[in-house]
Amino acid sequence: MNFAMTEEQEFFKKTIADTVDRLVVPKAQEIDEKDEFPWEVWKEFTKLGYLGLRYPEEIGGINADKIMCMTFYEEITRGSVGFAQSVIMNVLMGTYFIYRFGNDAIKERCLYPAMRGEKIATMCFTEDQSGSDLGATRTTAVKDGDGWRINGTKMWITNGFICDFCTVLATTDPSKGLKGLNFFLVEKGTPGFSGGQVIHKIGCRGTVTGELVFDNVWVPHENFLGEELGKGVFYVSDILDEVRLMTGAMALGIARGAYSEALEYSKKRVAFGQPIGNFQLIREKFAEMDTFMNAARFMVYYGAWLLENSMGSRIIAAEAKLYATEVCLKVVDELTRIYGANGFAYEYTPQRYFRDARFLLYGGGTQEVLKDFIGRTIIGKL
Amino acid sequence: MNILVFIKQVADTEARIIIKGDQKSLEIENKYNINFFDEVAIEEAIRIKERIKDSQVTICTYGTKKAVEALRTAIAMGADRAFLLDNTNLENHDPLIIAKILSSFAKTEGFDLILCGRQAIDDENANIGAITAEFLGIPHVSAILKLEIMDEKKVRVESELEGGREVVEVQLPALLTTQKGLNEPRVPLITGVMKAMKAAIPSIDPCSLGIAKEDINTDASRVIVLSYEPPKKRPPVKIIEGETPEEKVKNLMKVLKEEAKAI
Repeated sequence: MNFAMTEEQEFFKKTIADTVDRLVVPKAQEIDEKDEFPWEVWKEFTKLGYLGLRYPEEIGGINADKIMCMTFYEEITRGSVGFAQSVIMNVLMGTYFIYRFGNDAIKERCLYPAMRGEKIATMCFTEDQSGSDLGATRTTAVKDGDGWRINGTKMWITNGFICDFCTVLATTDPSKGLKGLNFFLVEKGTPGFSGGQVIHKIGCRGTVTGELVFDNVWVPHENFLGEELGKGVFYVSDILDEVRLMTGAMALGIARGAYSEALEYSKKRVAFGQPIGNFQLIREKFAEMDTFMNAARFMVYYGAWLLENSMGSRIIAAEAKLYATEVCLKVVDELTRIYGANGFAYEYTPQRYFRDARFLLYGGGTQEVLKDFIGRTIIGKL
Repeated sequence: MNILVFIKQVADTEARIIIKGDQKSLEIENKYNINFFDEVAIEEAIRIKERIKDSQVTICTYGTKKAVEALRTAIAMGADRAFLLDNTNLENHDPLIIAKILSSFAKTEGFDLILCGRQAIDDENANIGAITAEFLGIPHVSAILKLEIMDEKKVRVESELEGGREVVEVQLPALLTTQKGLNEPRVPLITGVMKAMKAAIPSIDPCSLGIAKEDINTDASRVIVLSYEPPKKRPPVKIIEGETPEEKVKNLMKVLKEEAKAI
């Protein structure tokens, strides 16, 4: 067994960590307090070229392996979750389908500018009555001339009304359930496409999250993103492990940020004449946090390694997301306890980590859905 | 213009550092960076390269194999080439020896201008630049805050003096050490990072630079670390009591006179 990163991976990790420390960490509290999309940070960061993380070098990407991808997701989230959500949406889900199925003109118009940070991408799955239950999707796409007419409303869309284009999940045949689902590209400015209500969240502030409304939106057939109709769910399946592992890596990122703050505070904060880190019950917290975080890290990166080598990562990806999220919730909780009453004050950072961590419960599949999936897969049909 | 930049990899300011049992060596957490002042030197060299056609920026460090990481970061920022002067089995703390090695490298490579940080933030010696210049027999200015290339043979630099600045013209080749404020080191672009990941970084045995091994090995060092001591613990804070501000000041004066004997 070899757990070592290659020299290249180590160097990439150090570089992205340093970059996040310089450009993102100092802005994290302000991003959270203002709860506005951080355009300045976005411009500063995206001009460095990281948004092409997953794509080939020939088109201006980095061609990063899955270990490097996880490192990126973890580090950017350690900086600011609010910012990371928007970045990762452009890097992964928001551009995945147009990279895979878009024609040259679409790539020129959407993918390449998104890789440079000049356009903001998103992906629309969720509706008010469907999240994990994709089969309940009510947004429809009906053949109309040389194209498709889309109607419906999407909820909880990361980058919401600020997106320049989106990949939207719609049913072309409601009678077929999951097999009727397909993806379409809709660009800003298309008649009938608009941003709806903005959702005010308790965490991940700075990311715009909200509704996107498709009111009789017509798109040409080239905007259908797939090889054949009815394969949408299979395409989602191809990216599912990475999305879940990515959510696990984000959990590690939040946990690491919180852990560092806790460590620093426990060395500085004096009670009963000595730093609180001298007390056994505080030490126990660090022993537990470090143990759990190491376990979560091994799961996420082992999953990424399996995924990179196409060795079957479906269960470990779900488990890594499930476990890393619980570890993250534990660490942010301990952070607020170590800070004592200060952990309850807006003036200090623990409350931000505490709020941010909650979002992990839902992204990439709820804990309940994942547990059911893992158990069902292990036991099999009886 | 052929620019050489000497850098040092130092422990991160937040790295955990423990003095080992023998008190003569340190256990340093695996968190290292380029010395901040050297980063300023790299940035300045790259800016010159961007302004003056056909310039080349070469980075060099005398350090362990781990220091390759620092050299890669310099390439990611925009340097053209980097060399490691491998100090395996040659560790020492004598700036005279280190400067001798660096100057030998500079002689071998050739240069128009050498830049390096004004000091390393770990040992704070601030003398490698000056000694290296002396070995090379070239002019040197410390802690520069502004650098202007006049022509191929001359630069104008501003450096910090107590309470003011000094502006001097310096004939090239020269060695200049860089101070905080000269520039703001850039964050590397991903294209640079990728180039750096693939860059071949030659490792050079210092003994191959025409220096006798006995002149640079650990025994040759005229500086010997006797022991490392942790900083003294600060005494607890004393809060001066008093009903009114006047009374507090009176009590403070009393403490300063009688206890601290500061007045």
